[in-house]
Amino acid sequence: MRGIAKSMARTFAVFLRKPVTRDYPSYHKPLPERDRAFPLLLWDEDIHEPFCTGCHACERACPVECMTVLMKDNPNHKKLEGTSSRRKIIDKFWIDYARCMRCNICVEVCNFDAIAMNNTWEGHETSVYDRQDLVMDLQQLLSQSRTGNINEWVPVLGQTNETVSEAGAEDTEVNN
Amino acid sequence: MSVDLFGMSLNPWADAAIRLQLVVAFMTVVVMGLIYAERKILARFHQRVGPQKTGPRGLLQSVADAVKLVGKEDLRPAAADPWTFELAPYFVFIPIFLGFVIVPWVQGWNVRLLELGILYFVAISSISIVGWVMAGWGSDNRYAIIGALRAAAQGISYELPLVLALLSASMLAGSLQLDKIVEFQSVVPLIVWQPLGFFIFFVAALAELNRTPFDIPVGESEIVGGPFVEYSGIRWSMFFLAEYAGMLIMAFVGSSVFLGGYSWPFGEDFGLPFQMLLAAGKGGLFIFLIFWVRASVPRLRIDQLMGYSWKILLPFSFLQILINGFVLVYGLPHIILLITGVLSLGLLFWVTEGIVKRPLQPRRRRARAIAVQEAEVS
Amino acid sequence: MVEVLSQTSDQSAEFETQDLLLNVGPQHPSTHGVFRMVMTVDGEVVRDVIPYIGYLHRGAEKLCETMDFRQGIGFMDRTEYLAAFNAELSYVMAVEALADLEVPERAQWIRMILCELNRLSSHFMFLGAFGVDTGVFGTPFIYAWREREALIDLFEEVSGDRMMYAYFRPGGIAWDVPVNFVDRVREVLISATQGIDDFDSLLSENEIFLARTQGIGSISAERAIALGMSGPSLRASGVDMDIRRDEPYLKYDQVEWDVITGEHGDVFDRYYCRVMEMRESIKIINQCLEHLAPGPILPEKMPRMLRTPPGEVYLRTEAPRGEYGVYMVSRGGNRPYRCKVRSSCLSNLQALHELTVGEYMADAIVILGSIDIVLSEVDR
Repeated sequence: MRGIAKSMARTFAVFLRKPVTRDYPSYHKPLPERDRAFPLLLWDEDIHEPFCTGCHACERACPVECMTVLMKDNPNHKKLEGTSSRRKIIDKFWIDYARCMRCNICVEVCNFDAIAMNNTWEGHETSVYDRQDLVMDLQQLLSQSRTGNINEWVPVLGQTNETVSEAGAEDTEVNN
Repeated sequence: MSVDLFGMSLNPWADAAIRLQLVVAFMTVVVMGLIYAERKILARFHQRVGPQKTGPRGLLQSVADAVKLVGKEDLRPAAADPWTFELAPYFVFIPIFLGFVIVPWVQGWNVRLLELGILYFVAISSISIVGWVMAGWGSDNRYAIIGALRAAAQGISYELPLVLALLSASMLAGSLQLDKIVEFQSVVPLIVWQPLGFFIFFVAALAELNRTPFDIPVGESEIVGGPFVEYSGIRWSMFFLAEYAGMLIMAFVGSSVFLGGYSWPFGEDFGLPFQMLLAAGKGGLFIFLIFWVRASVPRLRIDQLMGYSWKILLPFSFLQILINGFVLVYGLPHIILLITGVLSLGLLFWVTEGIVKRPLQPRRRRARAIAVQEAEVS
Repeated sequence: MVEVLSQTSDQSAEFETQDLLLNVGPQHPSTHGVFRMVMTVDGEVVRDVIPYIGYLHRGAEKLCETMDFRQGIGFMDRTEYLAAFNAELSYVMAVEALADLEVPERAQWIRMILCELNRLSSHFMFLGAFGVDTGVFGTPFIYAWREREALIDLFEEVSGDRMMYAYFRPGGIAWDVPVNFVDRVREVLISATQGIDDFDSLLSENEIFLARTQGIGSISAERAIALGMSGPSLRASGVDMDIRRDEPYLKYDQVEWDVITGEHGDVFDRYYCRVMEMRESIKIINQCLEHLAPGPILPEKMPRMLRTPPGEVYLRTEAPRGEYGVYMVSRGGNRPYRCKVRSSCLSNLQALHELTVGEYMADAIVILGSIDIVLSEVDR
């Protein structure tokens, strides 16, 4: 009987504690900086074009083949009296959020730091009524970065705390 | 012959009907509140909050549940036995509400104070077991049959300790009529003289209600709903309401018989509102105890449960009656009851603990750091 | 006393009865995933049980043959989602053995801390589900999720995801832990200790819980070894085997902890071995935090695309549920030719028939809960 009394005493002690429930959706827990939702493309504010050049590196590296990439000649290139040093620029880009497994490999292989994982709540609240609406096109992927609604975290593979804190220098341990 | 009701003189049949209707209506509302209270209180035992969104602080949750259940499709298995399947909810539901007839709410207010109050209560409440078996048989489902037979075995086994515990209390009070028992306790509640009886009554009431730790007929993690697995919508909600109404009636009968009802302490001196407070408070305490046990204790297996009833509770309830008999026949002072009650309750706890066969600690072998081992070798 | 309480008379031999075929189907609240058992029940006693698996088979091993070594890590996560760090660890260490990579110190200590924390969260999940199987309404489950929430928040701060981490890489870990990692781990350990105490008080001495779990579903040491069981289920039968101590990997030879063995091999011993293992895990993590020092987390000169020389390796680690092994064959190139996962849960599940026949039906669920399977590993 003492064991049952001990169980009941413990549940009563828990009864007196403060509840731990976080009342979503009226309260959104602050997400850590590294939180990984779905991928987003980044927008270059200075030149007003995406960082992405359509080089297919992420498309090849994706384990579940969720991306489709098409590149085009950049009309904004310096040789054509533009401001950009990118010869090619992204033309069309689709990511199927239903297939994406959020493994972060596309971020790691990107040569231009053009893609990042969404670490805001918008990235998690992507429910739709039709599965086709989960295939995101270029404008949808760029929208959050264009409005400045993202503070992305793009790590370098193998970065340590010391190398990051040294004035944010790129880590040389991984050769590209 | 006519009876007074709120100052009107009525035919006794009409008077009984009106009183019963009032009680049933009131109790239905209270049962819905009880469902809400269970969800909130169990949630606090789990360190979380319960329903919050439906209405202010989730108060309309029971209403939302009722609306949902009413709107559900009324499913009936194709091979279900039509009469038993249809009638089972009524057989479960009606006897419990009939049990509200003898409960003394406050002084002078009740439906009918039968002289055989406790006998009537026990007889009526055992009819609902038939309803469970009908539900299980009529459902044409193996899980339902298993649940129904378990419920029948359990219900029958725990009737005896329940009856004997109530009888031993009424032996002291000298009457089976519930309001006389309540008035007997105006100075000292019967739990003081009958601690063993109260414990046996509480455990047997939990078993009769099919609540944890005796909810194996409705074992949610195994046979998922037991006899009621094929019911949906309003029919299922009748079973659900019947369970909570049963809890309510056990709580009120228990608090009337053992905790002093509306009468202890100083109930008769301070009038009606205070008596209502006492009755509600004690019923609420009993129900809180039932919830607390549900949140803390696993369920017993059917054979362990029946063994506990027949081999442990029944002999102890006979013991309680024997002790009462000795005290009453030889005119011993009631303090003997308290002493022997506490001692036999201790004996019952000790016997219950005997279920534990061996001590807890398993063996531990040290995983020594290899560096340490090499240091020792060298 | 249990014998006194549960004696049944043997009169059923005189009556002509019919055995009931009961399907504990793939959709069931207590089979820990999509798992089907067909039980033949005589009254309340189980005469035969046939498990059906394969509802969660996704071809993970075959998919790994088409993925290079970094892409395959995400698939290994999903074969054992409750202990994903341990699953990743076996795979990644197999690749390191093939490619002869040396993992830096800091990465090893961090891997060890995360694997032990994952052991904690996996055992909490076991306690929650097991408590519900024995019948307590919801309380153990909610306590388990409360503790897991703290642990998973920590994992999110480190790797970015709450359950499918994809954090280990061949050679080390992907990126360094956050700056406040040590303090966060200590916070989480305090709340985890409180959680284990909650479970101990709630269940371990409760007489009804003991009546439900002691003496039920026991298996002897010889039979357990013959069936290929591993992990806490094996240690509860008295077999003193723990891969962390016998074949040390990571830095397990530099920390000190106890290996817990049971005596009777019944359900209660399997439960209590896990509870005590959780306390030992906390000891290990505390020692690891002392050893954590700054340093690199990947070897210098990591190639962009890792290629391994031809060879094969079988590498096993102590996952929370037992021995999780990866047998990897490489024919040169950047992807495995064959990656076979030796699943601890599948081997443990083989004991189900032996454990359950002869017990009561209500105990069959409790026994299944005590073996602690997660179907994604059984089916892969």
